[in-house]
Formats: sequence, structure tokens, C-alpha cells
Amino acid sequence: MHGARDAGPAAAGPHRQAAAAPASRARPRGAREDRRGVRAGLFAWPALLIFLGFVAYPVLWIALRSLAPDTAPGSPRGAFANYLRAFADPVFWIAMRNMALWAIITIPVQMAFGGLIALLIERYTRRSRAFFRTMFFLPVVTSVSVVAIVWSQMYAPYYGIVQAWLQRLGLTLGIALLADPRTVIFALIVVNIWQWTGFSMMMYVAGINAIPEDIFDAARIDGARFRHLVLRVVVPLVAPVTKSLLLLGVIGTLQTFPIVYLMTGGGPDHASEVFGTEIFRQGIVLGNTGYGAALSVLVLVLSLALSLLQITALGAELAPRRAREEAVA
Amino acid sequence: MTPALRRALPRHPGVVAVLLVLLGLWMVPIAYMLGVAFRPSAEAFDPALIEPPFTLENFATVIHDNHLLLNFANSVIVTAGTVVIVLAAASMFAYGIAVLRVTWMNPVYAILLTTLMVPITTLVLPLAILLKHLDWINDYRGLILPYAALGIPFAIVMLKAFMEDSPRELFEAAMIDGCTPWQMYWRVALPLVRPAIAFVAIWQIIVAWNEFFLALIVMTDSARKTLTLVPMQYSGLYMANPGALFAILVLIALPLIVLYVIVQRHFVAGLLGGALKA
Repeated sequence: MHGARDAGPAAAGPHRQAAAAPASRARPRGAREDRRGVRAGLFAWPALLIFLGFVAYPVLWIALRSLAPDTAPGSPRGAFANYLRAFADPVFWIAMRNMALWAIITIPVQMAFGGLIALLIERYTRRSRAFFRTMFFLPVVTSVSVVAIVWSQMYAPYYGIVQAWLQRLGLTLGIALLADPRTVIFALIVVNIWQWTGFSMMMYVAGINAIPEDIFDAARIDGARFRHLVLRVVVPLVAPVTKSLLLLGVIGTLQTFPIVYLMTGGGPDHASEVFGTEIFRQGIVLGNTGYGAALSVLVLVLSLALSLLQITALGAELAPRRAREEAVA
Repeated sequence: MTPALRRALPRHPGVVAVLLVLLGLWMVPIAYMLGVAFRPSAEAFDPALIEPPFTLENFATVIHDNHLLLNFANSVIVTAGTVVIVLAAASMFAYGIAVLRVTWMNPVYAILLTTLMVPITTLVLPLAILLKHLDWINDYRGLILPYAALGIPFAIVMLKAFMEDSPRELFEAAMIDGCTPWQMYWRVALPLVRPAIAFVAIWQIIVAWNEFFLALIVMTDSARKTLTLVPMQYSGLYMANPGALFAILVLIALPLIVLYVIVQRHFVAGLLGGALKA
């Protein structure tokens, strides 16, 4: 799911959170009133200043800079030239297609596999529970650059184990998976799924533990089969986790970079280009700052639009805690 | 789950077997990494997962040839700096909004949360230019502060939720005893949310230690590179010697894996606490 996911298992429902907090709590009275002034506000400043300097300022900067065309000869003119250039560039659309494939494949696969593992671990193991939880989570903890190089060697033609093993199954590949434009993005998606499924599992571990035990008891007394238990009890009750994973999955997809950069560099011939590699190449390597800024703005707008859509339409939000409240309600 | 209920769960040895098979498949890349790293260089290109004989020669080569300790130290400094700033700034903010209930912090909180929707991809280019202006390229601050900015909002969400769950009587008693807001923050609020602090710290360590994109741009001097950046440097150098390359990968992956195995109990407890306490 994620490249380097910096936000962690939180998904934001800023509107709800902000609106719900004051309404649901009784107002503090008396002695506490005077603490609400400027002095108590000092507690807010460190977080706010760091946000202003390293999130708000960069976002404003790309918004403004994207409107200034680059000075390279032959560059188009006009305030939106950089955006028009992106829309006219086939590489931009390749990246868009790859990101769509990335999200459409990784998110459901990770949910299904991570959810299944979590269910098996939480409901059917006892002494080995911590062992399994830890082992399946290890790829998340492993450096992405280590993961990328190990998988590159596994995919390698002639001596890589992937080809050797597929051959043993009677499947001879005439091609190198990472060198063929038709297979490369899927080969990278497999690596990403491998690295991040443990994260989905961990989120579902929290979700399953939040389901009240008597619901499982009732299902068992009713003699529910495994399939029914999964479809009628577990899947509906962990829906808040699923929504959060979808939200995080989309944002994580948009920050894909290290796996692609380290394994293919976006090649062969741009076939595996993603937004991260394209921004890196244009904005940093080639020095097309305005164009790189425009690409950054487009990714940001896409991320905000898709996130807000999910928050408003699905009510996706912060996972572990909400899971419990909705399960009980 | 109470112990009594857990005992009531039926035993399912078959499920454990299924999980072991899945885990075996899942561990193939890690087994392969170890297998090649401990293999004599003559057999490095065999398409086998793990095969004897085993040797430590690859580790001897790479430790002798490289300054991995320096990169390790860089990673430790960047990660520790990030974790300290995230915990300090986020716990103060969470305390202000959840315990002191400073009203004007609510809209600020909503704004901070939008950070969670900002992919790091969009920040890399402007941060690169900002850090160049500040002359923070190859400077630890150039990674620590952006990482902190990206980590703080999530930390606030977690700490705020735990503080809201804490019994208010404790804070009221502290106030009656004449505690100042600072004393209450330090002596009451922080100890109460220790599980959340452990959880946030562990997650932040994983994220900061493994971050690649920004580190690639900010740490260009090889003496300042963090461990995550090192494999790239050597993948060309040791192309003909995968054993040595994989030995480096093992050494790079190991610190965080060992750390996680040691602290995973606290990580899971924090995660489940978030779900179970409400």
C-alpha cells in the first residue's frame, strides 16, 4: 500500500473530529476557565510552528511556483503552462495509469490477505499469537531499500529464484519481469503488497479485538460456519478499519517512490513511472522547478479530493478507536 | 478478551499449520536474503533459497570495507531527534486541547490534521529548495524537522484520544492541589498516556528510520547518509558479488528488526489500547 507512510495508522476526519469534540464534551467550568487564555495556548505553538514551516509553507510555495513557467527554450508560456504541459505529456498519463493500477490492485489484496491472517491469528491461536503478529509485520519494519534490492535479485534473469521457481512449475518466462514494459508495474506491485500487507493485518488485529466477545459467542452458539462468521459478523464489524485502510491506501499509493526508483527508475522507457519518480526526475534531476511544482500540486489536489470524498461519502476516519464505538452502537 | 473467554476458545491446530505455511511463503524474501548473505561467493548466483555451506566471509568483507557505523549513527541521530520533537510537540498540543480545552485550538487541530492527507511526494521538491536556502543540506535538522512535521499530526490524534479517556478527576485533584498547567502536564498527563507514547514512539522510529525519498535528496554527502540510503550506493559496487551486497542488507535491516521484536508487545498494546479503552 504505502511508500513511506508518514502518517501511520491514523486517517483523518478533520471535520467530524473538530466538530464533534466540543459538542460531545461538557464545557469545563469555574477554575479552568482562566487557563484557556493565551498562556495555555503556549502548548499549541511548537506543533503549529513546525507545521507552518515544513508543511504549510512548502504547499503554498508549490502552488505559487507552479504558475511561473520554466525558462527552458521551447517551454510553453502563460500562467497555467506547466499544467497544460503535464496534461499533454504521455509520461504524466502513464504515471496516472500506473497509480490507478497500483491502488486498485494493492489495496484490496492487502485488505483481503491481511484481514484473513489477522482473523486466523486473533481467533484461532493462543500461544503463537505474538509470534505470528510479529513475523507478518516484519516486512513493514524492513528498510524499503533492502526490500527493493532483495526483490530485484529475486526477479533477476538467469539466477533469480522467481524465474527458477516458475520454471519448476512449468512456466518459462522468455522475459525479465522488470525489463518488460508489460509486466514491470505488476512486478513492482507484488513487492509493495509483500511489504505492506503486515500493516493491514495489524490494523485488522485492532479491529477484530474491538469486536465484543459476546458477538462471537452468539455466532458460535448459532453454529455459524466459518464463511458465515466472516461475511456476516467480521466483515461488517471491521468496516471502519477497512475504510481507514482504503483512505490510507490511496494516500500511500500517491507517495509511492522508493520501490520504483530503486528497482526500475521508472523504466523501461517510462513504463513504470509513478508520480514520485516523475516529480523527482523533472523537479530535482532536470531542474524544471515550475513543472515539478505543478506535478506536486496535481498530486496534492488528487490526494485531498480523493480523501475528502471518502471522508464525506464513506465516513472513513481514524481507525482503532472508532472501530469500537461503531461496533457497540 | 478476558482470560476466561480466551480459554473457552476451541483449539485449532489446523489453523496454526495453515498460518505456518503462509508464513513460510511470506518469509521467502527474508530467507533468501539471509541465504545469500551467508553463502560463499562462488555459490552466490545459485537460484537456491538457503544452501550449505555457510560462511561469514561476506560480513567480514563488508565490515572491513565500509563505514557502516557512521551511517548507523546518522540514522540514530535523525530518528532520535524526530521522535523527541514529535513526542514533545504532540503531547503538548494534545494536552492543551484535551485537558486544558483551549477553545481556539480546535480549528488549529483540524488544520494540522490535513497534513495526514498530504503525500510526501508533493513536499519533496519545495522542501529541497527550502532546505537549500536554510543551508540545511547534509544537516540533520534538514531531515528531523520535516519528519517531525509529518509525524506530529498522527501523534496528536493518538495522544489526544488517550488523554480524553483519562479520568478527569485526576486533573481536577491536581488542580486543587495547586498544580500549574506545566506541572500537571509533566506529572499527571504524560504518565497517564504512557502506552500511547510508547506506541507513537515505536511507529515514529519505524517511519523515520526507513524514510527514503527526502533522505535521498537531503543527505548527499556520503558521511551524512542514513542507513536506508546505503544499499543503493553499493548495489553497483557489489553487482558481481551479491553475497557481500546481501550481507550489507542484513546488517542494515537488522537493527530495526531486533528493536521491533523487543518492543512489539508495547506496540500492539498501544494499538489495542486505542481500540479497547473507549
